[in-house]
Amino acid sequence: MAKKSVWSDNRFWQRSAAWITGFASVLLIWLTFDTSGQISMGNDSDLKNGVTKRVPGPTVINYKITYEMDKKRQHEVPVIGEKEKFFGRDDYSEEEAAKLLHLGKLGSQTKNCMNCHTLLGNGAYYAPDLTKAWLDPAWGPTGSMQAMTGKSTKEEAMAEFLQHPSQYPTHARMMPNLGITAEEAKGLVAFLKHMSSIDTNGFPRNFGKIQGAVNGK
Amino acid sequence: MVNEAIMTQDILADDFLTIFVSSTLVLVFGGFYVGIYTAVKVKLLKAWTMPFGYLFWILTAYCLYLMGSLMHVNELTAKALVVAAIGILLLPHAVYYMQDRVHEENEH
Amino acid sequence: MANSYLTSESKKLATWYFTVAATLFGAQLLFGLVAAIQYVIPGFLFEILDFSVARMIHINALVVWMVFAMFGSVYWLLPDETGIETVGIELGKLLFWVFTAAVTVVVLVYIFVQVGAADETSIWFIHEGREYIEAPRWADLGITVVALGFVANLFMTGMKGNRSGIVTVLMADMIAFAGLYLTGMFYTDNITVDQFWWWWVIHLWVEATWEVFVGSIAAYGLITMIGAHRKVVEMWLWIEVTMLFGSGILGMGHHYFWIGTPEYWWEIGALFSALEPLPLVAMFIHVLYDWGKMQGEESAKGKDVSVITNKPAFTWFVLNAFGNFLGAGIWGFFHTLPQVNLYTHGTQFTSAHGHLAFFGAYATILIGMMYIAVQGKNGIKVMNNTTSTIFATSMITGGVVGMTVALTVAGYVDVLVTRAQMGATWAGYFDGQSGAWFAQGMDWRLVMGVVTFTGFFFLVKDLLSIGKATHHVR
Repeated sequence: MAKKSVWSDNRFWQRSAAWITGFASVLLIWLTFDTSGQISMGNDSDLKNGVTKRVPGPTVINYKITYEMDKKRQHEVPVIGEKEKFFGRDDYSEEEAAKLLHLGKLGSQTKNCMNCHTLLGNGAYYAPDLTKAWLDPAWGPTGSMQAMTGKSTKEEAMAEFLQHPSQYPTHARMMPNLGITAEEAKGLVAFLKHMSSIDTNGFPRNFGKIQGAVNGK
Repeated sequence: MVNEAIMTQDILADDFLTIFVSSTLVLVFGGFYVGIYTAVKVKLLKAWTMPFGYLFWILTAYCLYLMGSLMHVNELTAKALVVAAIGILLLPHAVYYMQDRVHEENEH
Repeated sequence: MANSYLTSESKKLATWYFTVAATLFGAQLLFGLVAAIQYVIPGFLFEILDFSVARMIHINALVVWMVFAMFGSVYWLLPDETGIETVGIELGKLLFWVFTAAVTVVVLVYIFVQVGAADETSIWFIHEGREYIEAPRWADLGITVVALGFVANLFMTGMKGNRSGIVTVLMADMIAFAGLYLTGMFYTDNITVDQFWWWWVIHLWVEATWEVFVGSIAAYGLITMIGAHRKVVEMWLWIEVTMLFGSGILGMGHHYFWIGTPEYWWEIGALFSALEPLPLVAMFIHVLYDWGKMQGEESAKGKDVSVITNKPAFTWFVLNAFGNFLGAGIWGFFHTLPQVNLYTHGTQFTSAHGHLAFFGAYATILIGMMYIAVQGKNGIKVMNNTTSTIFATSMITGGVVGMTVALTVAGYVDVLVTRAQMGATWAGYFDGQSGAWFAQGMDWRLVMGVVTFTGFFFLVKDLLSIGKATHHVR
């Protein structure tokens, strides 16, 4: 019988497994508390007082959002600017905005967006990423979508497209008609605008910055 | 127009392929190293093949370095990669040592 | 079944679970094929069975068949490990029918209702629209009840009978597995919080608890199929648990790079996901080492026969060790560091990794368990391969590897064009999708998907008929 070594002792490894699993779990739970505090949704007074939240309050739909390079963090961050009209208004109350966002988030799930698109980069890869879709130049004044849908604002163009997607094909691969109502479409656009204001640590990189140019050349 | 500032930390388009290939090779070469080491120890391979095992480890370490530098990793990640390289070096030694011990104790 | 050698009720129940699992595996492949065709011919079943529906069924059938096969595997090994009949077996059978009925209803609703209005009713009764865990809330509650019943049976049996190391690991693992499902059941308007907890289910399942489950099954398989020494195998299992949970739990960080969570997750994610391949390498060495050792002991006794008592199952177990390392290890590692993940997150690379990792890490070993069940049911001492075994194994494996390579090529175009050069916009996305290499990648993926699906029919034929072949040792 050879000498008993601790390295070949079952009980040693059993205890190691328990301790390491426990330690990793405790660390994860502790980090979860810290992260949860940082990703809780802000509110209207945060926006009014210029308090930066990683996930701003629903009334962010009253403001103009841009995606700009932060020299210190070395990646882009969403910047909330001056007031901007959303479906003709820039004075949504906290309650109204929250209701719209709620409708939009529910819609994003019940219409199964995530099984074609990616949201915050997660989902399926059959259709474009929606993380910063609100900021996509295609929907802006110089893009093609406003003219195509016959609307003069980004939000109306998006809402029109969502209600009748197969009327406005942009590619052989089309979005199907999902029975989205006018109200639901409005909610979904609010949801998209809100999502574009979330600080995603610079994902996606160089969104909308490069048109025609080739990176690094 | 491409803004100069937004390009500082970007991975160059030409570097992507090298990064993907080298990070794949990290584990492929690492696997060869571990495989050759184990095979020599359990006498499936002749002892003279052992230096080739270590050669594969050197290739692993080089690929980790190449991958890390092209990705512009920060200091902490760079340290983690060095630890990973040493970890791969030690792994089969530790594994074999333990396997052997436990087998000796349970010789039938 | 009339001509069954099984005396244990637990093992009979296991065969039911395996039967449903194999059926759902077929459904997964079928709807995957529909989705693959839609990449090549976008008009295929447009507004009849859209990509979103096909893919939802594809990934849900995947998760559910694996859960069925996992439950089946546990019911199969419990009598062997504990030495007693499973406690609460009648409850287990009842829950099996509840589970199967619920899954059938859920799938029919997916196919025929597809989408609902933007309200809570749709969440309760149609689907929740959250990738992998789309099941509507009523089914969530049902699954929780079924999972609790299953865990209760496992615990009661483990405590009453001989609680081996494998059973101990399974008990701890399965309760975590069931408990984690609860973190994915609530609704929130905050998409960042939504995805934060969503990953608790998905990541802590597939990169922690499921991997440990695979470790336990591999341990059981090595003992039953090549007669590996229990003490060695169980020590290894504990080491694997240490390594898997040690790297996997905090490896969660690699999903928290870009969903709105703080930047410190970059460092945590990078560090722990760099460690994640190590246990997979270790598992691989372990299987080969044990095989070599046991064969060596036999040869030393002057016997020149294989120590393997179930050739098809052992093949799948070896494929598991290799596939886990390849799919989860290599295909995971090359896009896991945040610097590169910034460009690869949410591209076809993820899809390539998903295909090979789910197959390599889970499908392989669960198919292996099905062969072990066939062996037991037919009272075979040494089960050999048939022609169908060889066709099934090589076509399924070759097909999945082929799909993975094709998707990787497509993913490279995706990363380079859509992400690095075009900045991920709508226009950039379609530029990437129109690339010649991308399109060819998708063509080849479809071809390889057909190969996999054909292999599936050989697998079914083999599972149904191999027990009746005459070249086994009985």
